[in-house]
Amino acid sequence: MGITELEKRKILYKDTLLCYQCAKCSSGCPLVEEMDMYPHVVIHLASLGLERSVMNSETIWICASCYACAVKCPNDIEIPNIMNRLKQMALDEGFEPKRKDVYKFHKVFTDDILRRGKVHELRIMIEYNLRLGKLLKNATLAPKMLFKNKLHFIPPKAVKGFRKWVKKTS
Amino acid sequence: MEKDNIALYPGCSLETSSSHYMKSLKTVFSVLGIPFRIMNDWNCCGATSVKSIDYDLNLQLNHKNLALAEEQGIKELVVPCASCYHRLADAEYMLSKDEKRRTELNGKNDFPYKGQVKVRNILDFFVNVVGLDIISKNVKKPLSGLTVACYYGCLNTRVPLEQSFDTREYPMTMDMIVKALGANFIDWSYKTDCCGASLFITVNSIAEKLVGKILKDASLRGVDCVIVSCPMCQTNLDTKQKSIRSKNSIEQPLPVPFITQLMGLAFGCKPKDLGLNKNFVPVESILSSCSVVKNEDE
Ligand code: SF4
Ligand code: SF4
Ligand code: SF4
Ligand code: SF4
Repeated sequence: MGITELEKRKILYKDTLLCYQCAKCSSGCPLVEEMDMYPHVVIHLASLGLERSVMNSETIWICASCYACAVKCPNDIEIPNIMNRLKQMALDEGFEPKRKDVYKFHKVFTDDILRRGKVHELRIMIEYNLRLGKLLKNATLAPKMLFKNKLHFIPPKAVKGFRKWVKKTS
Repeated sequence: MEKDNIALYPGCSLETSSSHYMKSLKTVFSVLGIPFRIMNDWNCCGATSVKSIDYDLNLQLNHKNLALAEEQGIKELVVPCASCYHRLADAEYMLSKDEKRRTELNGKNDFPYKGQVKVRNILDFFVNVVGLDIISKNVKKPLSGLTVACYYGCLNTRVPLEQSFDTREYPMTMDMIVKALGANFIDWSYKTDCCGASLFITVNSIAEKLVGKILKDASLRGVDCVIVSCPMCQTNLDTKQKSIRSKNSIEQPLPVPFITQLMGLAFGCKPKDLGLNKNFVPVESILSSCSVVKNEDE
């Protein structure tokens, strides 16, 4: 709402401008082996206004938002926040998320919160697997947790006034 | 410590999958004489998921939490889950920097948020509000002989510098608590390495690799257990440990108790009041490492 495409780009540019490509972020990233573009390259391209090439990367979805890079960056660039903004821009601009498995999880999780204000862990696991078309992909996780009575069949009680709040704010 | 305005923000997982964290918190609070009050009508913090696809919604969810806490007269909002802490602390920070956004969100909510609630990480709370002296005073069964690795995970300490309560890259608060209980801690370069968070569900192979590295190093250093303070870290390190151990040729099981479960054991609380039956890797075994030493002493 309110914020135009151009403004979004300006913020992105401003927040990445200080990067001097020391690559400290990439060297401390625990997931770098799994990525198709180094985090410092993501920041570099964003700072050059070439963010469209980044929106198609797996990296923005693989990033676990662990902030290891952010605490190391000598210029205090909040790299995971930038990754998030790039994910949102990618979705807004109609890019297919490069890692659908990760995107779908975030989506199922978010939708579930909007239902009652709290997440129902079992439902998330089942719905996620259904949407991916791989029922019980985590076959070793969910049943184990069910066995210890860690996942409840009954969803949590809705937060008082939450639905009303969702209607009012959205 | 003003006890009347302390309340807990439990987060979703403490109500279900990590009920053993909730139980042990309650037991430990009672030993320490802290009223166990849970904030009313809190909603989920959004974790890593909401902010990944809609940051604005994430800020709104936590603005609502903070406004509500303030309305309930809470000054110290104690947060045991690292992920919840990170989201609430982020909202506290962003809303203190952005007056305009705060006023705008205040207009949309039933209650305004004036910025008077302190978001406290559970480790910060134990060390800087309760105090290590009070903790050690309550120890009935010192855990001498026990050697532990403190695993902070990533989100407990990685907040903006102005907000941090501990060294962000090499924190010590949990180690200090462990020391107050009479146990030994190790210097450990893996203490803030990431366990993969929700990748455990989405791209399991990646997360298992990360967890494997963490457990392998802990086992090579010969610790008796790995201590955590985050429900997600606990689930990831504990639930599938058996298969992860066999893939990484780790022989000994490594119990993964919550810091509150360890405190409870040192305070002499009953295992059932600490929810020890909910841990996959049995925790009681670590007590034998302590008692061995004790028997030798006698
Ligand atoms: S650590 Fe910071 S300055 Fe260095 S490359 Fe990464 S983003 Fe740029
Ligand atoms: S936040 Fe993302 S990019 Fe930064 S270190 Fe963690 S996984 Fe890597
Ligand atoms: S981080 Fe997890 S536990 Fe904490 S509120 Fe969010 S979903 Fe619930
Ligand atoms: S270590 Fe894992 S669960 Fe713990 S805070 Fe980091 S990503 Fe989250």
